[in-house]
Formats: sequence, structure tokens, C-alpha cells
Amino acid sequence: MFFPVVAVLAAFLVGGVFILAIGESPLQTYSLLIGSALWWPDGIGYTLFLATPLIFTGLAVSVAFRAGLLNIGAEGQLYVAAFATAWVGIVFANLPAAVLVPLCCTAAVAAGAMWGAIPGILKARFGSHEVINTIMLNFIAVAFVSYLTQYHYRTPGDAILETAPIGANAHIPRLARFIPGFPERIPLNVAFLLALVCCALVYFFLWHTKWGYELRATGSNPSAAEYGGISIRRQIVLAMAISGGLAGMVGINEVLGYRHRYYDGFSDNYGFTGIAVALLGRNHPVGVVLAALLFAVLTRGGVPVDAFTQHVTKDIVQILQATIILFVAAEALFREGLRRWVKF
Amino acid sequence: MKWSKALLCLAPAVLTATACGQQSYASDDRSKPRVGIVFDIGGKDDRSFNAAAWNGVRCAETGKWPDGKDCGRPGFGITLRDVEPGTPVNIEPGMRAFAERKYDLIIGIGFAQAPIIETVARDYPDIHFAIVDGVSDLPNVASLVFKEHEGSYLVGILSAMTTKTNTLGFIGGMDIGLIHRFAKGFEQGAKSVNPNIRVIENYVGVTDAAWNNPGKGKELALSQIAKGADVIFPAAGNSGLGAFDAVEDMGRDASGRATHFVIGVDSNMNMLKPGFVLTSMLKRVDNAVYQITRDVVNKQFKPGLHVFGLESDGVGYAIDENNKDLLSPEAIRAAEEAKKKIIAGEIKVTDAMFQ
Repeated sequence: MFFPVVAVLAAFLVGGVFILAIGESPLQTYSLLIGSALWWPDGIGYTLFLATPLIFTGLAVSVAFRAGLLNIGAEGQLYVAAFATAWVGIVFANLPAAVLVPLCCTAAVAAGAMWGAIPGILKARFGSHEVINTIMLNFIAVAFVSYLTQYHYRTPGDAILETAPIGANAHIPRLARFIPGFPERIPLNVAFLLALVCCALVYFFLWHTKWGYELRATGSNPSAAEYGGISIRRQIVLAMAISGGLAGMVGINEVLGYRHRYYDGFSDNYGFTGIAVALLGRNHPVGVVLAALLFAVLTRGGVPVDAFTQHVTKDIVQILQATIILFVAAEALFREGLRRWVKF
Repeated sequence: MKWSKALLCLAPAVLTATACGQQSYASDDRSKPRVGIVFDIGGKDDRSFNAAAWNGVRCAETGKWPDGKDCGRPGFGITLRDVEPGTPVNIEPGMRAFAERKYDLIIGIGFAQAPIIETVARDYPDIHFAIVDGVSDLPNVASLVFKEHEGSYLVGILSAMTTKTNTLGFIGGMDIGLIHRFAKGFEQGAKSVNPNIRVIENYVGVTDAAWNNPGKGKELALSQIAKGADVIFPAAGNSGLGAFDAVEDMGRDASGRATHFVIGVDSNMNMLKPGFVLTSMLKRVDNAVYQITRDVVNKQFKPGLHVFGLESDGVGYAIDENNKDLLSPEAIRAAEEAKKKIIAGEIKVTDAMFQ
């Protein structure tokens, strides 16, 4: 737990050297970066909004990882799910909200789970590697939903590649409705709370249920798990489906809570950033939340840094993210170095 | 519990950072008009559409182009800040970053920003907004649009007077109304010279990625060349640069003249591959953003449609030392004549976007 924090601080030091080298003050840049990401209400509101999809994808990657699988396909899963959500929201627009919202959410989870289960089945049945299959399915997913949007669900004459809007009954409320003094313009919505609930559920599932135990056993030692009577194949498909379902929930945040339609290119590589979030968060739900918050702070603060400094562009955020990942991956370096100085 | 320890370490760091953060906000000089510009996905160095916008605001800031040359108009000493969003997700935060600091003018580049600028403009009714290529009827938004079909009509004439095969190529970026405007204007212009001319029309794709795929642009250009096209007009952002490569690969004939030509778009691209670029269809985004900035500085901002056509030098074609030997005097004469007739209303060019 201690090492990700050290890695983050070290990354900020390295980033500071870069900022100094291009002739700006690291302290001022960082205070602009973090300050604009946390000020009330617009900063923190957007930061939490940006953290929401990363919590979902971070959890998705973590669950797969606990079963010994690398899900690189969260991006494709969330694209399919977002479109499915929008589709239900458009086609069944006239249903009452109490039915339509759960239906849309189910569509998101089901579509994501289905898209995630495909590489799971391919691995369980034919032994083909999930990394390759999930990457390839990303391309298929994006192309497939772009096609559906372009030729079937677009408002005629709209220059932007987006579907028609979903029915008003499918909108989920923004948190502004519950928090006094929090402006309605901030898109932070109940999907954020859903993300926190999912964290708790994933924690409970993994560490306090028999199925979670079986899943983790498959991840730590497949042969031993099989010897203990666990069906490895079933666990692989199950883990990938859960992972895909979690990634699919990004669609709830984006479609039901924010844009109210499927919008091409809505994802800022959430699926891939989710891998970094899971890595930094040590594949633990609490770690995932903290890592997602950190990455959201960087994204939210990156824009003002780009705009209001003379020389630093938002690429500094990418440098910081990359260095953090590098340092987390090279954790042994810190562990050895620290052990020499401090007794841990 | 290990987590709580980490939180305890993080909390003071976060708190100090928040406290410091608030102070560095007022760093802009508030006595000067402040202008913020949010670019399209391509970014300000795309040498085409966004670059033209960047030229315009830089000219309004300093009276000079970004390369330091005089732009022939006065600068206003404004404070200019820009955001290159990189992904669609960053567009709205970029606009809000300026709006939260009460900027005087916020410019959005590209049709994809229209819905976003409307959302933000509703929240900040006291701030002026301008959208290039998009339309909004809010009382604080100016919509800067261009008659691309008129400019395309003129380069259609120039192409038809140059082609030897009576076959032209058009490569669009995204398959959308805005680009159909270029295509239809080009075709109509070409057919006004010779009704038997064939225009092969292809599109790179249907998503945002279509603007940024030079490989596919080149493939499409080569296949059009294989079908006989000898002048190609790409309106495809970065993807269009692939067509420039394709015509260069076709080489020159014995007299040193290129066998196939390409037409630049938005900015003057004649110098990119001298000898191979027949001309460039200019879309003077720089003029448009310069004028709207000037209006805000002079407190004469007008919302609503600002249409830039041939009559206001909003569109046109480029002739310079790189291409003056490529075009025949008859071709230029025909284009100039058509230009006069379009301005006078004698020729109606089809607007494929709003027909």
C-alpha cells in the first residue's frame, strides 16, 4: 500500500524536473493543476465525474486480474454497453422512469458482460489468449456501434456522429439535486454513487463469498484450484463476464447521466486508463477508487494547466501518468532502496 | 488498517495544494480583453483548419502571424489563451476553464463543438462565444459559417480546365453534410465547364478518426488515380495529406510538369509539394476569428449568423509563386468570371448541407 504513494510522489518529482526544464515553476504549475481540480464546486464536481468511469474500468480490470486474466478489452465493452443503453433509452422512451432506468442499466451491464464473455469463452473453449482477443474485439466494438449509429440511429442532418437523444424518462438525476449549493451544470450524477456501491459489492464478492474465493483461487494457482474441484473454464468465463459488466456501467454514467445519447468518441480511453488504475490501486476496490481519483485530478487539472501557463501543455499530465505507472511497475526499486534506510 | 494510514499522509498534501491553488488564479491581466480559444481534435498545428484559426487570433493579439511576419492588420494587445483538447472529452472543461474566469470571448473551433458551446453559453449568459462551422441561436453566441460550396465551385472550374482525362477525384473526411458541401460545389463547378466530366467521390470514414488517417487518404487517392483521375481535391483534414503523397508518387512528365495534381483545402497549402498542388481552396477562418475578436474588443459583438462567402473574401482560391505556372490563363479567367457571377447572384451554387 505504501509503495504506490511513494511512486506517485516520485513521479511528481520527475514531472517537476520537466517543468523546471521548460522554464516554469513546478510549485505553481502543480498548485494550478491540483487547485483547479479540487476547488468547490466546479473543480471537485468534475473531478468526481471524471473519476466515475475510471472506477468502473479499474474495477473491471481488477476482477479479471484476480482470476489471472488481463482484460485489455474494457474499452470495447464500454462502447457496446453505452450504445446498448442508448438503444434501450431510444426504443423504449415511453416507459415510465421506474421501469426504463433499471432497464437501461441492465442493458449496459448485459451488453458489457456479453462482450466480455466472448474472449472468456474463446479462452475457456479453445485456449486462445484473452489479451489478443480483447484487443481485437475493441476494434470490432467501436466499428460496429459506429456503423449502427451512422446508418440507423442518427438524427438526419446531424453533422456529429451521435444517436438521437434518449427519452427524458431514462435520465438519471445529477447530484446537484441532492446537494445544496452544488450547481446543476456539473454533470456529476448518481452513477458516481453506483460506482462506490460496485466497489463495496466487488469487495464483498471477492473476499466474502464462495464464488469470489473460487475466482481468486483460479487466479493464484489454476492447477491447485482445479485439483480442489473448481471448474477453471467456468471461472474464466465468469470473471470476464463480470469484468465486462463492470466496464459496461461506464455507459450509465455517460449516456443516462451526461450526454443523454450515444456519442462517438465519448470515451477518453477509459478502458485503457482503467488498466493503469487497477495497477496503481493494487487490484483492490479501495485502491481503485483512490487511483481513479488521482487520475481524474490529473485530467481535470490538465486543461487549466494547458490554458493558463505559458509553456506547459497538458502533455505534462501524460508524463505524470506515465511516470507513475513506470514507478509502480518498478516498485521493487523503491522497496529495496527504502528497506536500506528505514526498517519496514 | 493500512488504507487509513495512506489517507492520513495524503490529506495534508491535498489541503496545502488546494490552499495554494486558489492564489495563482488571478494571474491574468484583467485590464485587457481576454480571449480563449478551444481547438478541434486536430490541434493548432494541423497546417489547415485549426492553423487558420490560430493565425487569426494571433493576428488579433499582436498584429503578426505566428511565424512573426506582419499580418497587415492591427493587433489589439488582448490576452490570448488556448486549449488543444486532444480528445472530445476535454472540450467542455476547456471552455468552462475560460468561462469560470469570466473571459470576454470564447471561441470554439469545429462543428463538433456546437452542442457543447450551447450548454456552456447557457450557463454564462454574460460571456460572448463564437463557434466556427457551427450554428447556434443563443443571444450570446456568434456562428461563423462559410460558403465552402462557392470556393469549391471555383476550384472545380480550375480542375476541369486542367484535367486531361476528364476525370476528377474528391476525397472527403467524414461522410457528413458539411463535407458534401465541398463535394457538390466542386462537382457543379467542374460540370459547368464540361458536363461530361466524371467526379469520383470517396470518403475516409464515418467517425472523428476519419480526419486523421493519411494512410487511407493516400490509398483512396491512388485508387482514384487508377480509375483515371488526374486532379484530386481532398477535404479531409490530416487524411488529405495522403493525397499529396499519392500525386507526388506519380511523378512528372518529360517537360517537368506533374502528371497528377492535388488541391489544398482551408489554408494555403501550395507550398507543401510545390509543382503538384494545383491550387488551394481557401476558407478564411483567420479572417472570421480576427473579425469577431475585433468586434468584442470594440464592444460591437453581434450574435447570430456571420456568413463568409466570396463577396467578403471568406472563401476563395490561392495563387502564388508555387502554382502560377500550373494554371492556364484561361482557367483563371473562367474562375474569376464565375466568381463575379456568383457574387452577383447569376450563378447559384448548390448548398448540399441545407438543400
